[in-house]
Amino acid sequence: MADTQTAARLREYETMFLVRPELTDDLVDRLKDRVRDIVGREGGKVLRFTVTGKKKTAFPVAKNARAIYVHAHYLGGSKLVAEVERNLRNFDEVTRFISVKLAEDVDPESRPVMEDVKVAGDAEEARPAMAAEGREPIARVEVEEAGGETEEGVGEEA
Amino acid sequence: MNGNEKAMGPRGGDRGGDRGGDRGDRGQGMDEEKRGGRGFGRKKVCRFCADRNATVDFKDQATLKYFVTERGKIIPRRISGNCAKHQREVATAIKRARGVSLLPYNALVG
Repeated sequence: MADTQTAARLREYETMFLVRPELTDDLVDRLKDRVRDIVGREGGKVLRFTVTGKKKTAFPVAKNARAIYVHAHYLGGSKLVAEVERNLRNFDEVTRFISVKLAEDVDPESRPVMEDVKVAGDAEEARPAMAAEGREPIARVEVEEAGGETEEGVGEEA
Repeated sequence: MNGNEKAMGPRGGDRGGDRGGDRGDRGQGMDEEKRGGRGFGRKKVCRFCADRNATVDFKDQATLKYFVTERGKIIPRRISGNCAKHQREVATAIKRARGVSLLPYNALVG
């Protein structure tokens, strides 16, 4: 019990944000790294990033019918969330975001850092022009393409 | 005045129709009373209480869709069968999902 009391207890949060659909994978990765930096700087711990490719939204967001969904799962304090949200507000590419507290009093060591996940979005629109350009595999699931890069990034930071 | 009279005409006709309907409803009312005495069929069970592993998550569009009408309205507890605790959680999750455009605020039907 004494050990758990001395160890810094953090809260578990998740933040989901919508990014403009025009953004390339590189730019989304850069955005992800910026959020990762903020969490690291403020004494938090990123558990996982999940990027969902272009997905159809229920209603137009920033005049776009689709958006890229990025989900960040991290540990930290309330000031960290405020800082993340302040930054998201400043990023022009981010159109919407929501932060939710998942758990209180979490021991950072009990939660392992998981590899980033990339989930394919909805099937591409059945536009005649798109179909003519070349038929790419519609349901592509790219898991762990970015995982290696981000792992390296984490190593460098540490 | 003529226009009003004309308008009255069909209304009167509708009333006649309603009366006919009332008669029919009365007949059904008797059946409902009988059913009320027996109880209304099987009791609904809260999905989240029945399945311990099921959690309410605003990101889980597929599950939340079940608790929203086609129009995008939250389905009441008496119809969905949720318990009070889980209905509160579902309602919050649906509102969060609307915020990030996973569910509509107002969907047009048809």
